Amino acid sequence: MPLSGTLDIRTLAGDAPRLASLHPDPWELEDAQVLQLMYEIDDAHILGLLPPALHPTIPPVVTFTVARFTESPVGPFTLAQARLGCRAGVRPRGFLLRAYCDAAAARDALASGWGYDCRDGEISLHRYHDSITTTVHADGADVLRASLVDPEPISGGDIQYTANMNLARVDEGGGEQALLVQVDPEYRFHHAERGRPRIDVFAREAWAARGVEPVYPVAATFARCDTGLPRIRYVCDPNKPALVGTREV
Amino acid sequence: MKFGIFYELSVPRPWGPESERTVYLNALEQVRLADELGFDQVWCVEHHFLEEYSHSSAPELFLTACAMQTQRIRIGHGIVVCVPQFNHPVRIAERTAVLDILSGGRLEVGTGRSATWTELAGFQADPDETKKTWDEIVRCLPKMWTQERFSHQGRAFSMPSRAILPKPYQKPHPPLWVAVTSPGTELDAADRGLGSLGLTFGGIAEQETKIAEYRRRIRVCDPVGDFVNEQVNTVNFLYCHEDAATGIKTGQRLAGTFNYLAAQLLAAREAYPTRSYPSLGLLPQLRQEAAGPGDGARVPEGLCIGDPQRVIEVVKRWESVGVDRINFLLNAMETVPQEQVLESLRLFASEVMPAFATEAAAPAAAG
Repeated sequence: MPLSGTLDIRTLAGDAPRLASLHPDPWELEDAQVLQLMYEIDDAHILGLLPPALHPTIPPVVTFTVARFTESPVGPFTLAQARLGCRAGVRPRGFLLRAYCDAAAARDALASGWGYDCRDGEISLHRYHDSITTTVHADGADVLRASLVDPEPISGGDIQYTANMNLARVDEGGGEQALLVQVDPEYRFHHAERGRPRIDVFAREAWAARGVEPVYPVAATFARCDTGLPRIRYVCDPNKPALVGTREV
Repeated sequence: MKFGIFYELSVPRPWGPESERTVYLNALEQVRLADELGFDQVWCVEHHFLEEYSHSSAPELFLTACAMQTQRIRIGHGIVVCVPQFNHPVRIAERTAVLDILSGGRLEVGTGRSATWTELAGFQADPDETKKTWDEIVRCLPKMWTQERFSHQGRAFSMPSRAILPKPYQKPHPPLWVAVTSPGTELDAADRGLGSLGLTFGGIAEQETKIAEYRRRIRVCDPVGDFVNEQVNTVNFLYCHEDAATGIKTGQRLAGTFNYLAAQLLAAREAYPTRSYPSLGLLPQLRQEAAGPGDGARVPEGLCIGDPQRVIEVVKRWESVGVDRINFLLNAMETVPQEQVLESLRLFASEVMPAFATEAAAPAAAG
């Protein structure tokens, strides 16, 4: 059967966000700007970065997603994420390594509501005619400088964003449990572009991505869309195969 | 209705020195039995880099072995990836001609373009280009097979005049097919006079609509070859057992295992947004059809698993919507022991085949 992750969840669970409940109020996030870059990565360390619930994709990939939201229940914010492409059973997913957010209220709400492991960061996102660039700056240094090069229009319907699997803690059954929280927003696209991805700076340690070595560019997309943060529909035991460890909320 | 078998040649981990050889030898034994039992065709896919799912990167070699160990069964080389980074078109024409000669004119050629980023990037093929290059190459193949000399100036490739040798044993040339997974490809097949090589499992109602449109459009086609190959071929899983519950349970395990493996691959569209791949191809269908190995919640519509009576009923439904041929996947990851696979084939031949007319469905003349 397919390879599965071997990550010892105990090494991460202590720092994972604690959910206030499994029933956060959904957010509607209109007119978002989303830049996403995908790279194939060296497969040497991929299994050790994924929990046993998840399979790596063939080939393994990492995605960097930077999303700017001009309005939200807690005000404007920008979220940058690094995720590993994976499968929960047969479903395409992205396992969140780490995220950065430029607004404290959003950071806290994302962590307690949907399990985003968010750190404070300054995040820029600029759209030019020749490129779309982003920089994530944290703890005095750039931890990501990346861009979409040579954007060209495409149909938003051609973009496939995968749902997140965020490692979080929740109080259940008289004790604290580690869970993978599935966050699966919908998207209504207004505008979309595709180009070549380029990474100039990627500080692996800052993304909890030791061993993640981008080796082959896949694609980059930029979109303006309406999206949101939905109610949590599924959670998964990180230590069991998703086929048997997933339950409906 | 004609029946065939087809191979992805999936190899389960852990991979030892005998793993791949065992899969190949088991498959060859199945092909020899299928030939004896009256199955009409054996198909083998071309895939690259698809760990566990398919270790069938040189199907022309496997099919040559099949041809040399059988007498009657037709040899389906499909699909051949018609993307120049995978296969130079001249090499496709040459290899298929040799295989047709060695098989004594039993070759069928399925064409396609690959649907995974895993493969496309492995050969540095541009996903935006594959539909265009497939279209160019599929128009060239019949000319390469039939013209004394061939030259070409095109997008996918160019070449000065050369004699492409040898020529196929079948005259004017072997039947041509195209893999149909993405919506609309059945129309590409019809417009070019190609056989429709359906690669989606189940979904009878959806297939009925596609087949009807294919039949309508092919009547006014402009064939790329010297004749119109109006036939609809589809794939299915087969596990036939005297006890219905055993047949269904084992068949579901087989289907679930195959589908689970397929889902681990990175579809072209998932990685690289492009209109060239308007759907995820085979993969989303498979994701819907089975949650995974051992999932026994329901029997997906249209699967040929169970006792002979159930399988007959399912095949009749496929026949009723216009399918001419069904090719069966017999195993995945060797999840079904070889002896059970062979018994399933024997039972199908003795109990199911007699319920269907199996006259040869010869390609129609062009024109």
